[in-house]
Amino acid sequence: MSFLKTSQIKSPWLMHFDCGSCNGCDIETLACLTPVYDVERFGIINVGNPRHADVLVVTGTVNPRNAEILKNIYSQMPDPKLVIAVGACGCSGGVFRDAPNVLGGIDKVIPVDVYVPGCPAKPEAIMDAVVTGLGKLKGILEAS
Amino acid sequence: MNLTTFYLAVAGLILAPLVGGLVAGVDRVLTARMQSRMGPPLLQPFYDVGKLWSKVIAPASHWQGLFVRWALVASLASDVLLAAGADVLMCFFVQAASASFVALGAFCGSSPYSKLGAQRELFQLLAYEPVFLVAILCMAKVSGGFDAYSFMASDQPLLYKMPLIVPGLLFVVLVKLRKSPFDISGSHHMHQEVVRGVYTDYAGRDFALLEIAHWADVTVVLWICSFLWATSPLAMVVTAFLFLFAALVIDNISARLTWRHMLKVVAPISLVLATANLLWLYME
Repeated sequence: MSFLKTSQIKSPWLMHFDCGSCNGCDIETLACLTPVYDVERFGIINVGNPRHADVLVVTGTVNPRNAEILKNIYSQMPDPKLVIAVGACGCSGGVFRDAPNVLGGIDKVIPVDVYVPGCPAKPEAIMDAVVTGLGKLKGILEAS
Repeated sequence: MNLTTFYLAVAGLILAPLVGGLVAGVDRVLTARMQSRMGPPLLQPFYDVGKLWSKVIAPASHWQGLFVRWALVASLASDVLLAAGADVLMCFFVQAASASFVALGAFCGSSPYSKLGAQRELFQLLAYEPVFLVAILCMAKVSGGFDAYSFMASDQPLLYKMPLIVPGLLFVVLVKLRKSPFDISGSHHMHQEVVRGVYTDYAGRDFALLEIAHWADVTVVLWICSFLWATSPLAMVVTAFLFLFAALVIDNISARLTWRHMLKVVAPISLVLATANLLWLYME
């Protein structure tokens, strides 16, 4: 693979969006950045700007209000991009799936590449999801 | 201009950004180790720039691309001037132009964070440029010329005659490396209260070019700092590394200041110290 394609796999900048989570999964996501898990060793950086992001990590359920914001953030990210749905709520709506204001999981609004189950999801599982997503991206880049 | 100067200029043009990229890599690894982390690979900044270059995204404003390219040209020109042994004062002004282009590009964006970052960038310019200028004047007074070769030709280290400019130069290094407590306009780290500050609206290839310009800037600043102990190439490298290491330690133990504190307290103190050193040199 060329240097530019290798770079795309070795430098995933991650943006975290709380779509209506109880903050359990958000705390676990941020725990990945701490010295215990040190996600930066994979080249991963937590960015606050969708224009700089390659991976969108979304926690929580989607409702009609935040669905627009989620779509907006997703559309501002440059291709190729990955979306990771974290936690039971992000995957399917979790215990809130039948609530009248809940649309369901993240995949009701934007395409999801990797699902991370758990309530809350473990930091190890979130990191594994990013690495799995990068494996998927590598396959796409090699095929192109 | 003879052929050797030409070769040195070309070497400066190619090697300076590469050295800046390596400095960024060392910076990230050392920072991680200071925080009991493993950190990314040494070449991570090059992967980051490669990734940004391969991303295609519409610019926030068409003017931004122009300003980014001018910033890159100015930053590389300052490296070339130093490598060719030209006037250090000219190098300083060209490098300041580069920082202004970055701020102008950020003003063109639509994000309020970008505009806020650009305003803070101008305040930073206002704070560190006079200190940097006086430091270079001190070096020129001691070495007897403004060209880079005179700075490197003195028998004894320039530091002996200008101890008071060290805090000022450290201030400049902290600002240019975008390190705490002076990462006010845009932090080296990826997230701050104004998102990415002056960098917020730059993305894709423009951001990659801006990162290369930043590497070139860092090389120039550390190179000028290394003139303080320019008795041999190794001594210069060690001096530059000591400035980098001091900046990393300060970054890890301090919180971000406000631009008001920087402009009203830190900049005047370092400027007064540097000016006192210059006056002492003239009265000696």
